[in-house]
Amino acid sequence: MNTMHEFIDIVGEDNFSDKIEDLIPYSYDASINVYRPDALIWPETADQISQIVTIANQKGIPIIPRGAGTSLSGGVLAIEGGIVIDVSKMDTIIEIKIADRYATVQPGVICDNLNKELSKHKFIFPPDPASSSVATIGGNVATNAGGIKGAKYGTTRDYVLGLEVVIPTGEIMRTGAYTMKCVSGYDLPKLFAGSEGTLGIITEVTLKINPIPLHAMTAMATFGRLEDAGHAISETMTKSNLIPSVMEILDKVTLTSIRENTPIELPECEAMILTETDGYTWHEVEAQMMVILEILKKNNPLAIKTAKEEKERMELWEARKTAYATLSRISTGVLDDVTVPISKITDLLTGIQEISQRHGLIIGTYGHAGDGNLHPQILYDSYNPEQVKKMEMVESDLFHLAVSLNGTLTGEHGIGLSKADYMGLEHDKVEIEVMKKIKKALDPNNIMNPGKMALHL
Amino acid sequence: MEIEGYNFPEGLYYEKNHFWARVEGDLVVMGMNDYAQLMSGEVVYVALPPIGKKLTQGKSFAKVESGKWLGKIYAVVSGELAEVNEELEENAKLINDDPFGKGWMFKIKPENMDELDNLMTDPEEIREWLNAEIAEHGVAS
Amino acid sequence: MSEPLELSKKYQHMVTQCSRCGFCRAVCPIFDITKNWATNAGGKMVLIKEILDGKIEPSEGIAKSLLCCTTCMNCTTNCPSGVDPPEVIRATRKDMVNLGYDNMFKAMSDVIAKTGNIYGEKEKYDWGHKHERAPYVLFVGCVGTYREEESVEETINLLDILGVKFTMIDEVCCSGVLEDVGYQAHKNLAKHNIDEFHRTGVKAIITTCPYCYRVFKNHPFYNGLNLELQHITQFLAKHDFKVKTDKKVTYHDPCDLGRHAGIYEEPRQIIRKIAPNFVEPERTRENAMCCGAGGGFRGSSPKESITIARTRLRKIMEETGAEILLTECPSCLHNFRNAKLRRWNIEIYNITEFIGKLYKEMDVRKNVAA
Repeated sequence: MNTMHEFIDIVGEDNFSDKIEDLIPYSYDASINVYRPDALIWPETADQISQIVTIANQKGIPIIPRGAGTSLSGGVLAIEGGIVIDVSKMDTIIEIKIADRYATVQPGVICDNLNKELSKHKFIFPPDPASSSVATIGGNVATNAGGIKGAKYGTTRDYVLGLEVVIPTGEIMRTGAYTMKCVSGYDLPKLFAGSEGTLGIITEVTLKINPIPLHAMTAMATFGRLEDAGHAISETMTKSNLIPSVMEILDKVTLTSIRENTPIELPECEAMILTETDGYTWHEVEAQMMVILEILKKNNPLAIKTAKEEKERMELWEARKTAYATLSRISTGVLDDVTVPISKITDLLTGIQEISQRHGLIIGTYGHAGDGNLHPQILYDSYNPEQVKKMEMVESDLFHLAVSLNGTLTGEHGIGLSKADYMGLEHDKVEIEVMKKIKKALDPNNIMNPGKMALHL
Repeated sequence: MEIEGYNFPEGLYYEKNHFWARVEGDLVVMGMNDYAQLMSGEVVYVALPPIGKKLTQGKSFAKVESGKWLGKIYAVVSGELAEVNEELEENAKLINDDPFGKGWMFKIKPENMDELDNLMTDPEEIREWLNAEIAEHGVAS
Repeated sequence: MSEPLELSKKYQHMVTQCSRCGFCRAVCPIFDITKNWATNAGGKMVLIKEILDGKIEPSEGIAKSLLCCTTCMNCTTNCPSGVDPPEVIRATRKDMVNLGYDNMFKAMSDVIAKTGNIYGEKEKYDWGHKHERAPYVLFVGCVGTYREEESVEETINLLDILGVKFTMIDEVCCSGVLEDVGYQAHKNLAKHNIDEFHRTGVKAIITTCPYCYRVFKNHPFYNGLNLELQHITQFLAKHDFKVKTDKKVTYHDPCDLGRHAGIYEEPRQIIRKIAPNFVEPERTRENAMCCGAGGGFRGSSPKESITIARTRLRKIMEETGAEILLTECPSCLHNFRNAKLRRWNIEIYNITEFIGKLYKEMDVRKNVAA
């Protein structure tokens, strides 16, 4: 029997497609890479996935796990053809156990939908990537998704207690625990989290959940000098004795674009900081904010605004929330997420400005200054070969800059395809060898999302 | 039996609006015939009126819809609506897949079982009527 | 000889603007039930971009795939990059037809030409109600007349009770839906309607169907109308009603009335007058979920269309606990009524139908009391 028919037997006709009109959308994610798969499957159970992967492993057919496909790095693209396994139909929240502070979900559950259910119990899964209204938990785990609250609340990996994974040879593995702590055996959940689908397909996730902080206060400050903003951030993160729940920055290019293209009123400035404190009592929240405000004031701000009421807080957030959208309306672009040690934020920002000027491409930068993770959005005309080349050079310079500042190519989006060529820049040879060994041990036939993370075997 | 290529199982009564009837205990079961389900295309909706509704033989009491067509459902006998096939609510396609079995539509508590005599059972009579229908409405595929 | 894809080409820039962020997935009624990105706006934008870039040849399969959209504009409302997918999809549907890929709506176009309605009903329904010298004409359209006639009767009844002086015409289909599915509206039918409207000597048109409203308002074939045009909710918004209900009532914004025509307040003004216990669904106004009937989808994928309505209905019931769901669109009404399961207790009406019924109940009570 032809292999595709074997797959149809497993999942049913309605959950299989090799029609060109379906394959084309699935050749794309949110990066600029395009690779067409040979077929698409929407499984409904781990067992179905296990059967499919077993066959694929025997026959050497590449398998590409995919959630919402919002990957910014080509992580879900079929570079070597093969079958895309879209887990979106596995979207059940299996269990919310408040007494044990965990939630178990299928990989296709959308991040916001989980939080909607959790909020009924006054709990939250803190990582909040901007794509949370569409991104899946499976994808979040596979890329160790971050978000705005990262500096205080960490990233997805910090919340993964246990996983069920179909490993590349087809077996179903359960790993981790339902307990808050576990050091029994190798910490496989932490390995699989962030492995970008190269070590297996996640079919169930058990996540630690937190109570929702009762109160939050927001402050927004503008600065006439980038150095002042950078200094304010550094000082807050290191000298204040506290960790703000949010510490975001927007650069001049981004702010100018927002001012010129939206009705939002913004003063002329070099940089804007958006920060938040949260906690159990107003007293605590305000006391923390006072400390931050003192630091901001010491660094020559042009203006500072604070807000406690939900409506006013949302107004302060407007500019930050619209950054990506506004820039992408101006032109197509590439969104990166280079990350550096916190003290190097200012150097990164000035370095990006310099790269922009050198190559003549507009770069709007904004992001999670509190954990050193910035999002330079490189605007270029994708139909103009010269601009495409410039964009590639900009990216190269950007990655070199980040690494030179002791940083990493990617804080949140993953290596995928887009940054695979630059792995050697950041990782030493021994480390890459160890990664390859792990990959080969689990995926001897290299069928699981091959060609990603430069782990070519 | 097959008549003009359409399935007309034996032992059933056939009504001129393209419905069939059979006796089940003291109830009369009805559904759509093979020609009608082929002509209509995939059925997507059947109105299921409330139990107890008063029905008159030959009068319409509900509606059925496919993508392109809305048709009236006519009572095969007079009486009271006793049961509806709730499976059809989310799977109206049963009418196409198994019009005489799982695709049954209604069960009627008849006023008078003799009314069944007004329906067709003779293959020749059915053939003549069917050919006239085909002449008017076309061949179903 | 027109250039292939000439209509889609106008949207090349817009299609390129799509950054594949996927935000449209969160709000799309079809993606909600299929989980297939090809059925969603983002998936279609990349498909159309590949066609425009010459990377792939148009085909029957692609043309069919493009029919899979209700044009509800939820994606447009939610898109950070300023893309309006239904605009693009409509243009590409026309280009596909021009390239020779006819779809099932060609038959509908012929049927409309022959019978004057979208269903091919040979017996034209005559609403009567023809009066000389009325200031208003009421136009109800095909879906109301041939699929939800009881609701139209109640609406007419309500207008009579309110003492509105109106007449009706020998209606033919506005045929606007053809523009959504790759074809064109029928100029001769538009002329027939316009001539009929002018013959009556009215000063204004009231329509019950938001889609007809949009066609009369925006389609060039109706440029010669020169009459005031209102959807019935706009017309009745300032009226007072002598009836009320204390039942819990909720409202579904039809896509054609809300996102497409910007009419959100008037239906609510009416409802608040007659139902003090009014609660909004979670997804409402600009974010209202589509019922699944629009953009030709009820015609091309009736089963999925009803499934979408069922999902919307289920969510509304869970979120609001309402006893009554109101809307004011014959297509939404029909889809919801087809979708409702027997065991669900919610009742579904057009606003005008519901008010008409309240008046009837009041009369009955008066007669019983008398």
